Amino acid sequence: MSSALAGELRSILGDDGVLDRQLELHVYGKDSGITRGEPSVVAFPESTEDVVAVVKAAKRHGVSVVARGSGTGLAGGAVPLEPSLILALTRMNEIEVVDVENRSAWVGPGVINLDLSNHTYSDGLHFAPDPSSQSVCTIGGNIANNAGGLHCLSEGNTVNHVLALEVVTADGDVIELGGPAPDPIGLDLRAVMVGSEGTLGIVTRALIKLTPNPTAARTLLMSFRSVEDAAKTVSDVIAAGVIPAALEMMDRLMTVAVERFIDAGFPTDAEAVLLAEVSGHEAAVEAEAEIIRAIADDNNAIEARVASDAKERQRMWLGRKSAFGAIAQMNPDYYLHDTVVPRTKLVEMMRNIYEIAERHQITMLNVFHAGDGNLHPLMSFDASEEGVIERVKAAADELLAICVALGGSLSGEHGIGLEKRDSMGLVFNEYDLDAQARISEAFDPDGSMNPNKVLPSGSRCFDFGRPIPEGTWV
Amino acid sequence: MGLSVLDELPVAERDGLPEADHRLAPTSMDEAARLLDHASELGAQVLVWGGGTHQGMGYRVGPDIVLSCENLTSIVAYEPDDLTVVVEAGVGISVLEALLAEHDQTALLSEVPGIATVGGAIAAGVSGWRRSRFGPTRDRVLQATLVTGDGRVVTGGGRVVKNVTGYDLPRLATGSFGSLGLVAQVCLKLWPLPSTFRTVMVESPEAALDIAFRPMAILETGDGAWCYLGGTSQEVGEQSTALGEHFVDELEWPEPVSADVVVSIRVPPSELRSVLDGLGAGRPYVAQFGVGETTVGLDIGDIDLLPDLRTEVEDLGGALVVTEAPAELYEEFDPWGTPPQTLEIQQRLIARFDPRRVINPGRLPGRI
Repeated sequence: MSSALAGELRSILGDDGVLDRQLELHVYGKDSGITRGEPSVVAFPESTEDVVAVVKAAKRHGVSVVARGSGTGLAGGAVPLEPSLILALTRMNEIEVVDVENRSAWVGPGVINLDLSNHTYSDGLHFAPDPSSQSVCTIGGNIANNAGGLHCLSEGNTVNHVLALEVVTADGDVIELGGPAPDPIGLDLRAVMVGSEGTLGIVTRALIKLTPNPTAARTLLMSFRSVEDAAKTVSDVIAAGVIPAALEMMDRLMTVAVERFIDAGFPTDAEAVLLAEVSGHEAAVEAEAEIIRAIADDNNAIEARVASDAKERQRMWLGRKSAFGAIAQMNPDYYLHDTVVPRTKLVEMMRNIYEIAERHQITMLNVFHAGDGNLHPLMSFDASEEGVIERVKAAADELLAICVALGGSLSGEHGIGLEKRDSMGLVFNEYDLDAQARISEAFDPDGSMNPNKVLPSGSRCFDFGRPIPEGTWV
Repeated sequence: MGLSVLDELPVAERDGLPEADHRLAPTSMDEAARLLDHASELGAQVLVWGGGTHQGMGYRVGPDIVLSCENLTSIVAYEPDDLTVVVEAGVGISVLEALLAEHDQTALLSEVPGIATVGGAIAAGVSGWRRSRFGPTRDRVLQATLVTGDGRVVTGGGRVVKNVTGYDLPRLATGSFGSLGLVAQVCLKLWPLPSTFRTVMVESPEAALDIAFRPMAILETGDGAWCYLGGTSQEVGEQSTALGEHFVDELEWPEPVSADVVVSIRVPPSELRSVLDGLGAGRPYVAQFGVGETTVGLDIGDIDLLPDLRTEVEDLGGALVVTEAPAELYEEFDPWGTPPQTLEIQQRLIARFDPRRVINPGRLPGRI
């Protein structure tokens, strides 16, 4: 079946637009998470018309379509689960037009996140979402996962930065959602397309909202004798009416790992380190940095200092962004978790994390977006060690359950994908899940777009409410 | 045989409710669910009513039942340190903002809300003027519980400020005019109020946009233009000096436009000036620079200019939407304009939440 499909795809995309040799396919069997599948074929469209033709061809062959950007997703959203075509959108990487006056840009889904910000830098604008993978991840992937990043404390996730989307539907129709003006009329389908992880359609172009570059910024490094003092500082900063652009926490295991990896200047004797960035007007950042420094002092900071120059500031952030590189050096494998709790539950959650780590004998390091309660416990292990995978999985499940018990949610920025699909029942009841499945069904009645992701099977098996009356046009 | 739910629920007492066979005010989401399930069975049309301030939007609904949210007024949870609040639909925006102000926080809903409710603002998808800095209301609806047209209670999102768990039902519900369900309860993301405010009179809003770094709002009316600043005293002071000499140390918002007919014109921000120029002098308006929206008031005799204006605005990728008008205008002039191209998907979505099309039927663009 799939070889006939590959032939048809070659007639659409040319020889270099299709991969179907086993070794090549294997490469596209996973993203940056820990699960793997085997695609039937990989297609590289270069235009919206290509995507339409590929989606229609896949439909004719009864093969589902799994969209993929750079494959940096951590939740298995781009893993093919059944006979699937991988639609790799990386060649659709054109920054078509930047509209400086309206602070927006039309871009292809394959544009690299950081490339857009670099491109618009001289216009004084940038794309606010900045996941740690921003130098390699695509904007299409950011949209699919509603990606966040260090700066979403003040700027919000990707959905806040998308004005319009061109989408190819499961039927191969091209639709446009949203628009260049505020408050487009009708249901806001754009908002539900963002974060839908490729299950509702394929984004082929996006009108991105750009954010003015701050004219000034200050970065502070604060170290504490306890996680509690650091967490209290986070709460007090917010309570003082200051929303920093970023507010990041690292625990001691993490700072030690980072310092072994690069010299970021992090104190390795402190139990917790906070990095805060305030940005905006020159006069604002000076005053806000002082407020934060004073709050840290009130909370028994060992040290609270403002980076003295751009070089020191860059060094501090390099340390933060090198966290995952540092982990890779410790053990061959890691599992990065992404959960979110109300900010006031941070300390309680951290206590639970340490307790779980100890009980399962897993090295667990923490580096996370403290300002919005978005935790990233990172388990470092050697998968060849007997029984370790089971312990990691058990610990991950316990983390999720506690997080939800504290009023939190499953994912703050990585998405649900495959990884957390079967945990959705922790936060949603059967009616809620059924409603989610109805949304998916309205866009993709046959379930051919990235099937079996996000929602656990059986979500739509119930027949709640009243049936749609006969003759109703749906 | 027990009494019908129509006989059991409290009768609505709010002033200004439209005529209907039944005007009811459920006291809980479960009661609302029973009411809507029953309405679904009867095939009755239900008009949901909050404060009534946004009822001028959309096609008219001739209701059999008016569901008033006047008894859904609980502040369910308020956690100042988490910057979140959970409220029922019928909570007044002014009531909520007064509570939040005690903790120096705000939900950034309408600055001049009158009797508007939180549920009404969200169902209508309207935002306050500070959206220029903080984004529209939809960016702050973290969780929404809907009572669907067939009486199911469904929740999407979560009570945390950052969340990507499942499809974004809260944002989808924002501006849905009840088509997916009664927006019965929401969790909103809050912002701290800055320590210092200032309203600075400016010559040119366009120049102010260049001078001020992400101000809260830049508004122009027939009486002048103002830049609204908030932040630390140093920041506000320096920016204010750069903007102009005339200022007050508080936020002085204009009165919302009041006229026979009020329309909201939405265009890409750079096109706002040419739209205002095209309107000519003498009509009341409040224009949001940096956002691309203006409300304009017209006399009933003036509405002949609306069709051409709408064509122009739609060609720019925008919309001209009626927000207030006498009932007969809706017969003559489409309150929404050209419906979006995605009507088919919207219709399929609505059919899955309100299959008998009970709540506000035909209210949305395309009469869906």
